[in-house]
Amino acid sequence: MFLINDLIALLAANLILSQALGTSTIFIAAGSRKNLVATAGVITIFTTVGSAAAYLIDLVLQPSISDLRLLFYTMVIGVLYAALLVAVYKFGSRWFEELRRYIHLSAFNCAVMGTLFTINKRASMDGTVFNLGGYVTAGFEAGIGFIIAALILTAAYRKLNSSKVPASFRGFPAMLVYLGIISMAVYSLK
Amino acid sequence: MQKKTRKERLIWLDIMITLLTLELMSYFYYGIRSVFLAGICVVTGFVAELVSLRFMKRSFTADDLTCTSDALILALMFPAVMDYHISVIAVLFAILVAKNLFGGRLNMIFSPAAAAFVFVLTSWDGQLLQYTEPHVKTGLFETPTNLVRSASYVFDHTGTFDHSDFEVLLGNFSGPAGAVSILLLVVAAIVLMMRRSISAGAFLGTIFGTGLFAVVTPMVSSRADSLKYSLVTNMVLFSAIYIVSDLRIAPKRDYYAFFYGLFIGVISYVLVLTGAKENAIVIVSVLFTPIALGFRHLEKKIDTAEQEHSEVNAGEAAVTAAGEEAASHE
Amino acid sequence: MNDRKKAMFGGVLGDNIVLSGLMVISPVIICGDTLKNAVALIYAFSAITFLSVLISSFVPKKLPYTVKVIIYALISALVYIPVKLAAQEFYPESIERIGIYYPLLAVNSLIVFQTEAKFFRMKKTDMIISLISCIAGFDIVMLITGFLRELFAYGTINSRIVDVNTLIGGLSQPFGGFIFLGLMCGVYRFIRGLVSNNNNVRSDADVSDK
Repeated sequence: MFLINDLIALLAANLILSQALGTSTIFIAAGSRKNLVATAGVITIFTTVGSAAAYLIDLVLQPSISDLRLLFYTMVIGVLYAALLVAVYKFGSRWFEELRRYIHLSAFNCAVMGTLFTINKRASMDGTVFNLGGYVTAGFEAGIGFIIAALILTAAYRKLNSSKVPASFRGFPAMLVYLGIISMAVYSLK
Repeated sequence: MQKKTRKERLIWLDIMITLLTLELMSYFYYGIRSVFLAGICVVTGFVAELVSLRFMKRSFTADDLTCTSDALILALMFPAVMDYHISVIAVLFAILVAKNLFGGRLNMIFSPAAAAFVFVLTSWDGQLLQYTEPHVKTGLFETPTNLVRSASYVFDHTGTFDHSDFEVLLGNFSGPAGAVSILLLVVAAIVLMMRRSISAGAFLGTIFGTGLFAVVTPMVSSRADSLKYSLVTNMVLFSAIYIVSDLRIAPKRDYYAFFYGLFIGVISYVLVLTGAKENAIVIVSVLFTPIALGFRHLEKKIDTAEQEHSEVNAGEAAVTAAGEEAASHE
Repeated sequence: MNDRKKAMFGGVLGDNIVLSGLMVISPVIICGDTLKNAVALIYAFSAITFLSVLISSFVPKKLPYTVKVIIYALISALVYIPVKLAAQEFYPESIERIGIYYPLLAVNSLIVFQTEAKFFRMKKTDMIISLISCIAGFDIVMLITGFLRELFAYGTINSRIVDVNTLIGGLSQPFGGFIFLGLMCGVYRFIRGLVSNNNNVRSDADVSDK
């Protein structure tokens, strides 16, 4: 029973369905199931590790210079982006060519940056979340949310791109409406 | 192919007959307004289907009449005194956005009625969830007065249900125009299952899931009452027949359809129990669309594998038979 | 229209970044529910994108791709600061409403990825014209979205009440944004298909579902 409620809560807090964060990325990745899963996985790494670093930034950043937050977050993601590429090159050079494009796609986008800002906003409103564990958990949950949204889109991928869909709506427009209707159902559960 | 096409039309006819009986009951309780609302919905649905098919450069066939059953399902989920503008917008949403935008009946993703119901719920919940009492007949263009919350709402929030079993069976309690006539719905479910016009697996799964949880974690002190009222309130029976068991959406094999229905039943019951979410089953059925699509995809894969397997077996049998024949000739 | 002209002016209609490229759609979906928000977003997006791409064009091209992408993102994060400070003067209410989507405009794919893929392959003047047309494409979509969603969701135009018979409250919600943008994309493609006499605008995406 609690599991079902948690699942619904996770769905309701989903950054794509409730805040449209990372929608462009998920559509770019929607080219194939493999792309979707790989991109969702890499984004989860970015959001989880990135949120840990964001915690440290939020800890030292004074409210008077909060406009610099974006700059610092960008630096963190930049370092993470380079580090991930180096790590894959060093330890998984066989898959480097394949994984590289997922890392490029997953680094600078609304999904990752939006997650960091959302966690920051949540922490500023609720002091109990303002700790390393809270940030990392929220970052990981955001990544899981992205994976769930990717799975929801993957389930309908063939139908949304079918030749039976009118040419004008085939692909992206149908995907937007599909996600919209799912998002509408999630919203009506709140 | 000819057989399949005929079958689709027959399914529509079966569903329409059962829906019309529900509409008749609604007329008995709410008067001509209910029939007029249903008429507006059906005509809007028909016109929207015609126009969108024209845009898609497809010709209208008898199979496309399913738009009228979708519109009638939606009308029966509304209060009899629903605003006409909203009803028209809802039907347009069902037919144009939730159905034909994705390719129409050849490529169904959502149940049009369920998607449109959720759409109305998010924009006009005040209008959607307030009803007139049975036997209160409102004029065609009269503004409804003395609106009340549904018996489902009262049950979800207080655990009380002040109606006799006889009233429950006849649908003599406040709620959506067509979703409260329990006796008719039970008959409709049996007839439609016997005629294979709905997915029996999905229907039984939904009823079993809701029923099981209503007994295991009852909403009221008596488990029997919990079971009874959980099935008759919140449009559970109506949705189980016309939305969850829709052959265009539910998994084709009864085995998978049962689990699909079971999950919907269980989750919607938990939502009603923990959050008093009225008519949660309709929302959950929209949310479960990806699961239905996943099941259908799995079925396709199994079918392909079975076909390949039988072809290989047939090939091997043919080779063996040819070998034996050659040996006997020698 | 020849290829050069198409590359320069296509951003407005022919290859709109929102409706065709599906870039920067999150702010359109979430914040494009009123005309005021739309105007504030248009200002921020136009200023940040134009200045960032222009400054980024001076980054040496010989640098590795990853390093260049990080530098572009850092430049736009720096440009964001004065733009935000100025916005606090002009659109104080909208800044609050737009919230986290304001900084997110600075990491939009037009700056981070399209710079390399499109703009920096052009001559400077062509690049500027193409950039302006892309920005104008976003601005037009944002204005139309803000106008229509405000009209039908709240029954107002720029906060002034107008007579709309039936309001669709859901249009102001994120799901309303998704559905509205999806419909707008479809209508855009339909019109584009009519203009170019090519209805199969996305035939490459066909997937057989047999």
